[in-house]
Amino acid sequence: MRGLKKGSLSQQRDKIESIVYPVLFGVLIMILWQTGVLHKMLNTDDYILPYPDKIVGIISDNSDMIMVNVWASVEVALCGLFLGSLIGYIIAIAATSFPTYGTGGLTIVSAFNAVPIVALAPVIINWTKDVSSVAEERSMVAKILVVTVTSMASMSVNAYRGLTELPPFSDDLMKTYAAGRLTEFVKLRLPNSVPYIFTALRVSVPGSVIGALVSEYFAEYIVGVGRQIRENILIAQYATAWAYIIVACMIGIMLYAMLMIAEAVFLRKRR
Amino acid sequence: MPDTRNNDAEILLDDVGMVYTASDGRNVQALTSVSMNIQKGEFISLLGPSGCGKTTLLRIIADLIKPTSGRVLIGGETPGQARLKRKYGMVFQSAVLYDWRTVIKNIELPLEIIGVTKEERCKRAAKMLDLVGLSEFERHYPRQLSGGMQQRVGIARALTLQPEILLMDEPFSALDEFTREKLHIDLLKIWRKTNKTIIFVTHNISESVFLSDRVCVLSPHPGRLSAVIDIDLPRPRTMELKDTAEFTALVSKVRNSFEGV
Repeated sequence: MRGLKKGSLSQQRDKIESIVYPVLFGVLIMILWQTGVLHKMLNTDDYILPYPDKIVGIISDNSDMIMVNVWASVEVALCGLFLGSLIGYIIAIAATSFPTYGTGGLTIVSAFNAVPIVALAPVIINWTKDVSSVAEERSMVAKILVVTVTSMASMSVNAYRGLTELPPFSDDLMKTYAAGRLTEFVKLRLPNSVPYIFTALRVSVPGSVIGALVSEYFAEYIVGVGRQIRENILIAQYATAWAYIIVACMIGIMLYAMLMIAEAVFLRKRR
Repeated sequence: MPDTRNNDAEILLDDVGMVYTASDGRNVQALTSVSMNIQKGEFISLLGPSGCGKTTLLRIIADLIKPTSGRVLIGGETPGQARLKRKYGMVFQSAVLYDWRTVIKNIELPLEIIGVTKEERCKRAAKMLDLVGLSEFERHYPRQLSGGMQQRVGIARALTLQPEILLMDEPFSALDEFTREKLHIDLLKIWRKTNKTIIFVTHNISESVFLSDRVCVLSPHPGRLSAVIDIDLPRPRTMELKDTAEFTALVSKVRNSFEGV
């Protein structure tokens, strides 16, 4: 049809190559690992770094117990991600509405983000020690709060950009229609910020998984993939620890893949 | 000096001046003492090189900025009152389509803002799209259209609320010559059908002569109105007009009226 732009063939080829090459590299690593070449390269043995088939065996033999830990970690990551992103977005709206205090407020939120989880987790666990008499519940609240704090900054900073960096003249257009601030917000700023929300999530989704795993280290109640990695290394059960490490990677990859799908659906009209 | 007491004027500019304070604290005189009358239904060009204040003047009329001196009246009202009554349609240097909305939804935007029902919105937007000859593209997204088509959607959107005045800020400057010439003819047709008052900002001399009833020549340093030239060429104007001696003579006359460029 007249005036239509089509995605070129070379773009599609680039897209395929960007998937195929990393997969081939992964397969190569697996072969080196299973054949023991990797152990020689890293100067280690198959006790500290078990073979892939052994790790896969452990995962399939203990799938019920692993899934309990997976759900515990995923719940922490997603609840924290949701709360942190929500609060981050509200902070961005506040910063947009009150520009005088806005940029200062965002700087403080970003400063929070620079505090390492390792330092943050014990402080938050101390705050939450009275929220419930059940150790499992108060641990859950503490872990979710850690992830909340760590997810907040990327959302508030990116959403603020999405709410304020408008295409040239788009705000003038609203003004010529005598649109009020609320109308301008709903019809222009909010939709303009949607791609920026995904930019924030690209950072905070992997961040929330890491936050969940690390906060488990310090939690009172022993559950979660991160905690299992730690517990198994402590008792020198390296094969089981590696099984949980692989599972942790899978969680990260799965959540990121889901984000990519959501992004493709929500932004398909814009690309 | 034009008669600023003329009550028939749709747009009246009386000694309008604009002083910016630059970032280093110095005052920059963007416009000094611009006075003119624009009649209802007139096609006026504001022509000048960059830095002459032509866009500033347009934005003052549109109430996007306030002049630091002088007076502007739009049908006897202030630009602010005229804006709140939605007397203006504005077309910008780029089409300024919202990329998350389809073509038809972009045109419906102003109707949504004033609270028109969905059914009525669809009907009116479709009519506007027909006016610019893009009916078959209503479900497309802006990125799927060429630059010229996008700008036609921008024009359709500017006309949706049936404003009395159409303000156009270098609307065709980013387009290629072929597309631009086609849009000139289209714009003149739309103007004849809708009978709007059009103020058209441009830095293209032949474009301003071809389209306008009057060309207001602005010169820079400081921005000022240096000449107003009547273009008494017959209408409707066609592409052949550009080959006539009268057209060429007017282009030269406009070009020679610039000061200090």
